Amino acid sequence: MDAKHDVLVVGAGCAGMRAAIEAFDAGADVAMISKIHPTRSHSGAAEGGINAALGNASDDDPEAHAYDTVKGSDYLGDQDAIEILCNEAPDDVYELEHWGAVFSRTEDGRIAQRPFGAAGAPRTAYAADITGHVLVQVLYEQVVKRDILTYEEYFAWKLVVDDGRCQGVICWDLLNGGLKVIGAKTVILATGGAGRLYTGTTNAYACTGDGMALALRVGVPLKDMEMMQFHPTTLAPTGVLITEGCRGEGAYLLNAEGERFLKRYAPNAMELASRDVISRAEQTEIDEGRGVDGNVLLDLRHLGAEKIIERLHGTRELAQTFAGIDPIYEPIPVRPGAHYHMGGVDTDVWGLTSLEGLYCAGEAACVSVHGANRLGGNALMETITYGKRSGRHAAEWALSNTTVTVPEGIVTDAERELRELLGRTEGERPWKIRDELARTMHENFGVFRREDQMQRQGEIVAGLRERYRTVVVEDKGTLFNSDLTQALELGFLLELAQCMVVCGLARKESRGAHARPHDYPDRDDENFLRHTLVTWRDGPQLDWKPVTMTKWQPQERTY
Amino acid sequence: MKQVAYYKGCLAALSAKELDTSTQALAPKVGLELIDLESVTCCGAGDIHEAEPDYYLHLNARILAYAEATGSDTLMTICNVCTLNLRQADFMLKGDDALRERVNTNLAAVGVPPYSGAVEVKHFLWLVADGEGFELLKASAHKGLKGIKIAPFYGCQILRPSKLLGFEDPDKPWSLERIIEACGGEVVDYPAKVKCCGFPIIQAREDTALGELIQPIEQAIEGGADAIVTPCPLCHLSLDAWQSKLNAQRKDEGLDPLQPMPIFHLSQLIGVAAGLEDSELKFRRHVVSMKPVLEKLEV
Amino acid sequence: MEAATQPREKTMQVKIKIWRFDSQTGERALKEYEIEAPEWVTLLDVLDMIKDQQDGSLAYRKSCRMMICGSCGMRMDGAAVLACKTRMYDIVQAGHVPVISAMGNLPIVKDLVVDMEPFWEKFKAMKPWLQPGYEEPPEGKEYRVSQERMNVIHKEALCINCGCCVSECNAMESSPEFLGPQALAKGMRFVGDARDGATVERLEDYSDEHGIWECTRCYFCNERCPKGVDPRDAIAKLGAEAVKEGIDRDMGAKHAKWFIKSTETTGWLRETELVPKTQGVISAISQMKFAMGLAKKGKVPLPIPPHVAENVDEARGLHRLVHEQGRLGYEGIVQGEGALAKLDHHLREEEEEEEETT
Repeated sequence: MDAKHDVLVVGAGCAGMRAAIEAFDAGADVAMISKIHPTRSHSGAAEGGINAALGNASDDDPEAHAYDTVKGSDYLGDQDAIEILCNEAPDDVYELEHWGAVFSRTEDGRIAQRPFGAAGAPRTAYAADITGHVLVQVLYEQVVKRDILTYEEYFAWKLVVDDGRCQGVICWDLLNGGLKVIGAKTVILATGGAGRLYTGTTNAYACTGDGMALALRVGVPLKDMEMMQFHPTTLAPTGVLITEGCRGEGAYLLNAEGERFLKRYAPNAMELASRDVISRAEQTEIDEGRGVDGNVLLDLRHLGAEKIIERLHGTRELAQTFAGIDPIYEPIPVRPGAHYHMGGVDTDVWGLTSLEGLYCAGEAACVSVHGANRLGGNALMETITYGKRSGRHAAEWALSNTTVTVPEGIVTDAERELRELLGRTEGERPWKIRDELARTMHENFGVFRREDQMQRQGEIVAGLRERYRTVVVEDKGTLFNSDLTQALELGFLLELAQCMVVCGLARKESRGAHARPHDYPDRDDENFLRHTLVTWRDGPQLDWKPVTMTKWQPQERTY
Repeated sequence: MKQVAYYKGCLAALSAKELDTSTQALAPKVGLELIDLESVTCCGAGDIHEAEPDYYLHLNARILAYAEATGSDTLMTICNVCTLNLRQADFMLKGDDALRERVNTNLAAVGVPPYSGAVEVKHFLWLVADGEGFELLKASAHKGLKGIKIAPFYGCQILRPSKLLGFEDPDKPWSLERIIEACGGEVVDYPAKVKCCGFPIIQAREDTALGELIQPIEQAIEGGADAIVTPCPLCHLSLDAWQSKLNAQRKDEGLDPLQPMPIFHLSQLIGVAAGLEDSELKFRRHVVSMKPVLEKLEV
Repeated sequence: MEAATQPREKTMQVKIKIWRFDSQTGERALKEYEIEAPEWVTLLDVLDMIKDQQDGSLAYRKSCRMMICGSCGMRMDGAAVLACKTRMYDIVQAGHVPVISAMGNLPIVKDLVVDMEPFWEKFKAMKPWLQPGYEEPPEGKEYRVSQERMNVIHKEALCINCGCCVSECNAMESSPEFLGPQALAKGMRFVGDARDGATVERLEDYSDEHGIWECTRCYFCNERCPKGVDPRDAIAKLGAEAVKEGIDRDMGAKHAKWFIKSTETTGWLRETELVPKTQGVISAISQMKFAMGLAKKGKVPLPIPPHVAENVDEARGLHRLVHEQGRLGYEGIVQGEGALAKLDHHLREEEEEEEETT
């Protein structure tokens, strides 16, 4: 063991940092591991805002927030977890403000809130269109204040399990090289999503589902893996995010005929309908020939230069740099892109997984607060509330005098595996497998899904996994070997993809982000009001888990 | 002749008088009629901009207002720092109605004519590097520079921030090179020509400043330059007057002194190529002797 | 690069040179690369393609590829940029082969990866966390601050810690311990935050030997920053606030205050007295030899008779008004930010005006 802690947080984005801060404040010896410097985490790319029933823009209350979230989840969300989120959200947001978060303000100096998709009231607290950036900054400031130890540029590769408990993490030191073993009484996975499974994703290169794969590989179940949200407004070809905040400020979505086509799909909420509804509408317009070069148009012109410059400055910069468009004068071509993974490691309302000592929070987790579709602004809220909760629970558990053991064998096995991988000179470079995975997932497991395509995708992924067995890492060195870590990330993605396809095939209905208009166009509450659960035993094994319902019965979902 | 309001700034009036005399003598040859501005003060340099920025704004608004009052459409500067300061104030006032109104009210209260944004601030360098000024420069440089090697040193605040200055690409400027060649000199190119001479901190943080100052001088020497030319009297002061300090430091470190590097003001370089008198060029005011390069020029 | 080339997508031949370096072996070499890439690629995409297809050992940082994480700072032709923001099309069209190297002022680990430790150490030295100067807000809710008041730190809050400013800082190159543009801008983020109660302590800290007054005002940081933070202006704001708070023992502050005094008395800078006023009489005396060297050339103008501008009373009057109106400290700089930002907006005002007249 190179080091030992009470609580070890893997991933230092909003969820990871919030968990670490909480664990620290609870008195635990806490450390974070991150394969990138904390402020580089993709939480920082979130733009539009964070939801809480503060009531600054209109009358609001946590129950209304909860209802919108339950409905938004297409009734797959666990209502107890959702109620907790919505009840704790306001205080959690105030706490961020007390720590100094630079929110935008109302006329009377309170935290400004804007309307967002599928929300009955404007409750998305924001900082212009860089809310994620602002939150990452304030959380990092609090981490620095507490001088929380961070193993920076350490790549978490395997979980250590002994005696039925998670006992730590085996990492590769990316900066200097070498395997490092960090023991811990509790481990909190906060590694984000897996958008890199797709071409055209809003996600960073770092979003390769590491924590989910780590948990999967030690037998921990993953939940609702088929639920990948496609954000309606991303830039072609790479998928850079254009915030929902644009629509919150009043932007329109137009097809090639200049029509606000959402009046045919979501006549009441229009551009502020739920994301899955809008992405499907867009994809339909594009597929039926009313798109513009495979996109629809996001029109901000009527908002005026002043408002765009004041509130959507980041958006303008992105559109100018990556699409060569100034949104003050021209509409932005956008299309659906893989954005957020509702699925993840199955946890309870404290972030605890089925493995003692192992927690998960943030996008990597599936509590589930988002069910089959997430509301804009709820992801950031989940990172804070559930980051905090898992941090506290993990700290309290760890402080109850448990030991840490890391069996010799686990380390030597890892070393051998690494030597074998690095020693290989004949084989395939990872990028071909990676690109093929992303392209085929985009084609066969995207906004609309069909039985035959999903079947084919399962076979394709299996084939890619076979090819992965002879993947070659060209860089044999120790200094900043990102060639190695990128190869390991690909391994994670392949296993997660296999799980997703299995779950997608098993869910024979359309619910939220899982849309099967050709074979199962309707929601089937009788048979499928339950979560998919996948555990890895030589391949993905499927199971089911009931949805917790407290107040709300499933209704028809229209916007 | 183009009439320009002439803002000479602090140094040209006193310690760098040679800059003023050479500019005044050269001006008519390049088609410029200089209208002196008496009722103006120091522009405040980076110092007042940093210490009392609201006062800096008012001082510069006053200079701009008096320049406007001459009826000219151009305020000509001969110092980088003055150029940046005046242009920045000009943009602040042009772009904000409420701010401009407030400043004008204050100007009126002390008896200063109003500012209306009618003049554009341009460094002498810009007026002679292009257009008609450049044509006249070429015609006037009849004595030429006889192929002497000149290393251009721009100085930070004629290039950056480029959105406030905007005359040329701050990383690939061309104006000094063009002028050197037009006057018959040979350009010595080197990386530090766009870097800082250290003048703003030469008193408060001398060591740091000297660490910056040595770069253009060493590189000019390495490049075989006979002299450096600069459009800023502050850069001139550090390059010229502080060479002795550089050598004192080197002595402490057991190094040989640097080969002396003569420093031209821009107006002197053009002036000597145009045959100005010694009484106008006043080379004797330089700390580092100009003799070696003047001998090459047979002056 | 993750997006596979689409059929019929236009491509171009991209040539770049990269300074390779290994801090373990000390080996350094300039290598040239050529690759066929889609026309929309950025420098980061090109690096990805080279690493994937030609040389897996190429080391660089990346993450978001959308100019928000700050990972991919590096130098192109000696000037720091974000690789993900740098489109290659125009460069290729111009036939230019850019030279890519690691950022400056930080030790290089490998190729384009620098050791960010000194960078983060300076960041931490600013005590970059809110030190609330208020009692708990009522009902545990948010502290009330107007948008206008928060806008004081609007620019400093944009900082993504990419290091482009630090890379190019001339003062830091000469004095490696200089806190630098990024750290000081972060400091201003707190000094300008209405909720922070530690302003005076911060300004005292930031006024140390390697703080505010070591900035050489080269404006490279403003020029290089990919987010419009304008760190030099943040440093000036700190200087203004320090002087306002009377934290002005530093030579840099004294130097600045003499300029102010000069404008009120003679209008022009009273150069000769500048040295003793800045450095103190004793230090000035120790500079005698140097001063004599300058005096011989007439570069030390006698303070008598004073060189006085006309109507200096107007300047005095303005100074009085400015103080009465109380826009002191950083407010004097913040008040101009709206106007100066318009220079960045690149609005098509001229085009529209033309359209109106035709």
